[in-house]
Amino acid sequence: MKVFEIKDLRFTYQKNRIKAVDGISFSIHEGEIFGLLGPSGAGKSTTQKILTRLLKAYEGEILYYGKDLKSYTNTFYEDIGVGFELPVHFSKLTAMENMIFFQQLYKQKSDIVSLLKQVGLYEDKDRLVGEFSKGMKMRLNFVRAMLNNPKILFLDEVTNGLDPKNARIIKDMIRTFKENGGTVLLSTHLMNDVEELCDRVAFISDGKIKEISTPRALKLKHGKRILDVEYYDNTHTKHKTFELTNIGDNQAFLDLLKNYNIETIHSGETSLDEIFIKVTGDKIHE
Amino acid sequence: MNSLGLLIKGEFQRLIKYKIFQVGFAVSVLWILMLFLIGKENAGIFVPIFIFMDISLMTVLLIGSSLFYERQENTLKTLLITPVKLSHIIFSKLLSSIYIAFQSTILIALVASFFFGVDINLLLLLLFSILISCAHAMIGFLFAVWLKDFASLLAAMMLYMVIFAFPSIFYAFGVLGRTWEMVLIFSPTHASLLLIDYAFYAEVRLGLIVVSLIYLTSISYVFGRYLVFPRYVEKAIKE
Repeated sequence: MKVFEIKDLRFTYQKNRIKAVDGISFSIHEGEIFGLLGPSGAGKSTTQKILTRLLKAYEGEILYYGKDLKSYTNTFYEDIGVGFELPVHFSKLTAMENMIFFQQLYKQKSDIVSLLKQVGLYEDKDRLVGEFSKGMKMRLNFVRAMLNNPKILFLDEVTNGLDPKNARIIKDMIRTFKENGGTVLLSTHLMNDVEELCDRVAFISDGKIKEISTPRALKLKHGKRILDVEYYDNTHTKHKTFELTNIGDNQAFLDLLKNYNIETIHSGETSLDEIFIKVTGDKIHE
Repeated sequence: MNSLGLLIKGEFQRLIKYKIFQVGFAVSVLWILMLFLIGKENAGIFVPIFIFMDISLMTVLLIGSSLFYERQENTLKTLLITPVKLSHIIFSKLLSSIYIAFQSTILIALVASFFFGVDINLLLLLLFSILISCAHAMIGFLFAVWLKDFASLLAAMMLYMVIFAFPSIFYAFGVLGRTWEMVLIFSPTHASLLLIDYAFYAEVRLGLIVVSLIYLTSISYVFGRYLVFPRYVEKAIKE
């Protein structure tokens, strides 16, 4: 079932007449993690703001569960959770006070204590958020997004500022959310997150979608069907490249495996980083 | 409790946590201390001015700075993705600033009445203080959603004082003559001061009171409806 169906979406910021989104069409299916990837200023955040009804003066059509998004009232927000790129908390309130305040505004509520325990902030629940590190604030951002037990999560650079251990915790929670039937729109430039989490990805650049597919299909499409072999011939390390097609019948390759000491074998599979640069024509902004 | 009640409760919680409540109280105490320094003879002249400063200029400054603080913390944006109405968000902030003004008015007026024997129509003063603080809260909102940063807010405040507040005060002290009245009628600070004076049994023509009431009600509505509401969302999501 399609959660969102976006048809020929366009948005121009009136102040500077910049076309932030320029005729994009895609859909997000129930229970999938959809990655929206692109360099800064590509139109990811604008698209997310439109889908979360923060920007309303768009052209084109957006259907949410088959119904025009514009026809929904604020009850739409009961369905969604938004994890912003920057911390969004009252710094002079404790973590718990922040979460209680925001959660009260929703009908449906998740267990705050359990969420704080999962992200490792339970011990700090009574500390002022202003005393938190960037990583702690980002973890609290994720808890904030999950407060209303949402059906759909909008996550913007969700692991930004997190150490590998805490990034892993958040990624595991996103995966669990998906396994429980949740849908995720993930905006990021971190390809590790994409590889680990996304079922489908769209590369967006200059307000247009350049590619949309599964990470695997993209890698196959943009990768080279070759095999690089490094071997030692008793004097030097040498290197040979073979076509991957019918590799099992390639006698030269088989002889190499049989007669030499093989040091490394690499396929020509490309990384999402490289695809990102190739498709969007931009470097990844770390 | 409905969402408006929860928002108001949250605003009051933050008034205390962010020490805005305490600052408001401290400023009122400062005015009261000044009254004691001025003495009983002149208290009657200065009490309306102090109340005017507190519920007009302080309201602009308090709401403006608290909104800038929220803009910095990105909390304006996160409230917009909850099921609450935008009107409720703005109304809760408006109410909390009116409360601060209300608290100051009561405190200064009671001290003025009990210790200095100043004659006050307290009910009228409280009703007028709601309208005055509401209009000035909208001006504070306007500054917060139209200006770029806190420094611009302070500059705008200074400009507002020079253009509107000082002439009104000069007029009240007789520095500016009656010929200025027709010019000052278009000043929100002058309209505020006229209403406060009226609550202190000063001789103010009833026509001017009606004009002031209509004027302050109109700017509260027009600023809120056409300048604050549309710009609030734009500013909040731009953080």
